[in-house]
Amino acid sequence: MRDSGRLAIIITTLVLIALQYAGLDPHHAHWWDYIPGFWALFGFAGCWLIVVASKKLGKAIIQQREDYYDKP
Amino acid sequence: MISHSLPPSLILLIGGALLPLVPRRARTSIFLLFSAAAMVGVTRLSYGQGLSFDFLDYEVVLCQVDQLSWVFGLIFSLITLIGGIYGFHVRDSGELVASLVYAAGALGVTFAGDFLSLLFFWELMALGSVVLIWKRASTASQASGWRYLYVHITGGSLLLIGIVMRLQTAGTIGITALTDQAAAGNWFILLGVAVNAAIPPLHAWLPDSYPKATVTGSVFLSAFTTKSAVYLLLRLFPGWEILVYFGVMMALYGVVYAVLANDIRGILAYHIVSQVGYMVAGAGIGTDLAINGAAAHAFSHILYKSLLFMGAGAVIYATGRSKLTELGGIGRMMWLSFGLYMVGAFSISGFPLFNGFISKAIVVSAADKAGYSGAYFLLMLAAVGTFLHTGLKLPYFTWGSSYSGARIERVVPTNMFLGMAIGGALCLGFGIVPGVLYGWLPYEMHFKPYTMGHIVESLQLLLFTFVGFLMLRRQLGGEKKIVLDTDWFYRYPAGWLRWAVVEGVDCLFGAFEHGIGRAVHRIGLLAANPIEVLIYRQTPSRSFDPNSYRLGIGGSIALALVAVVILAVWGMWTLG
Repeated sequence: MRDSGRLAIIITTLVLIALQYAGLDPHHAHWWDYIPGFWALFGFAGCWLIVVASKKLGKAIIQQREDYYDKP
Repeated sequence: MISHSLPPSLILLIGGALLPLVPRRARTSIFLLFSAAAMVGVTRLSYGQGLSFDFLDYEVVLCQVDQLSWVFGLIFSLITLIGGIYGFHVRDSGELVASLVYAAGALGVTFAGDFLSLLFFWELMALGSVVLIWKRASTASQASGWRYLYVHITGGSLLLIGIVMRLQTAGTIGITALTDQAAAGNWFILLGVAVNAAIPPLHAWLPDSYPKATVTGSVFLSAFTTKSAVYLLLRLFPGWEILVYFGVMMALYGVVYAVLANDIRGILAYHIVSQVGYMVAGAGIGTDLAINGAAAHAFSHILYKSLLFMGAGAVIYATGRSKLTELGGIGRMMWLSFGLYMVGAFSISGFPLFNGFISKAIVVSAADKAGYSGAYFLLMLAAVGTFLHTGLKLPYFTWGSSYSGARIERVVPTNMFLGMAIGGALCLGFGIVPGVLYGWLPYEMHFKPYTMGHIVESLQLLLFTFVGFLMLRRQLGGEKKIVLDTDWFYRYPAGWLRWAVVEGVDCLFGAFEHGIGRAVHRIGLLAANPIEVLIYRQTPSRSFDPNSYRLGIGGSIALALVAVVILAVWGMWTLG
């Protein structure tokens, strides 16, 4: 990725973390709403988890050759 | 007045009956005319009961309207119209009539006031929809269509069993919320509905058949079957807690399979399973907010999912290719379909200003407010997967990435773009002005989607899903594989079953026939010459001739002489 792209992502992230606290509603907030960038971390970790876990499942059993049902 | 107006389902059925009678070029116009009439019919309905008659001692109510059925009826008729515009170039009257019958079934289910008419329209949907799969006219679609039909006949039978059992215990066929979780009949009804709602493990018919349907047909398929089942879950089973767990499970199940699927409509099909999971969970939570959320999400989902299928359909129509491994780099050639597809992709991913945002947030909030924290986090995780596949992986490997050599073999007709543009405009419109949809929902709505908290939460989540995708994209390309799903349990043993009831029986009969033939042959030989067969144990060289086994004249005289001697001796013995 180009540096400008990286910079854009970093700046957007910082802005979103700042806005997270600006938009915080103390009456309805959960503990995780106070963690800076909680949903960014959740999204990033979730992304890895989904890809890695699914690929493992796929290799183990789910994915088969395309003629699987034609030539048992 | 409702009592004087025709139920929308009947309007579509009349259209379906008239359509084959008009000239080929006018057929889609008739389609549009009647789907528009059905939509006007829905908007003119007033709340209450209309058009009912007595049938076998029961009151059949063809049209019963309240807020919940009205909002589903509206979106079903709207998508029939949009799908009709997208498929305006279709001339095949079979496909057009099937689409109308299918839509009529969905509207009939939505407005049915009793279980008998519900069952009738339920089966009508199965019949209409299977034609849309068969009309693709490939070997794979033929086989898949049959499997689809078998599954839906089974589902319909489960529903029928439940209805009969409920009739015996409760004595009524009227449609009301089923509250008795101890009644077996209610569980059969739930199973029948769960087949159409594609709740795993009863879902495999969906990703099996939708990728194999016609380009226009899959647009209708993505809208009606699962969402009419969601409507019934909201109507019959609100607050059945088991649905929360199954809903969350299916939201993630679809995501996992979408990582592995290679067919672009297969990925979208698995994301139907995933998105319907939100609605099923909403039905299970059962609070006013959750029911509203599920209904709103069904409404939004039909708009953006049909748009996604239309976008993928345009690629398949133009290039004749449908697999990620065979697509890529066609963005320059198909930029318009890419742009319109992305409107649907941003909607399903829940970007602010798109309609997925304003509906998904309701269900997720309802889970949180009702104390299902686990469900809340898992539904957020499913949202990550949704953006990852539908919003990033599919478009990147179809329109972006390296050029695959795919060429435009057929020019996409303008009406297809028009259908997509209308769908896209509605996705944006309902997203920007959420109050319109919220005003149609069954319960009063105080929910505010556009708070700073919601927006920031979504943007953080989506931005870092994007970052994750950038890092992982090399692993996410399509693989030339198929995915095994729960249809394995009837597809793989089908080979054995076919052997047991067809090929095995064939073998048995063959062996028997062969055996009988040999036996008859042997009996023939035995009859021809028993002496040679029985005594000399050899194949007879000639037919039996008694003379060849007779003794010579000397032998006869000797024999006679011996007899005379014996007689003489015996005579002397007895007389003497």
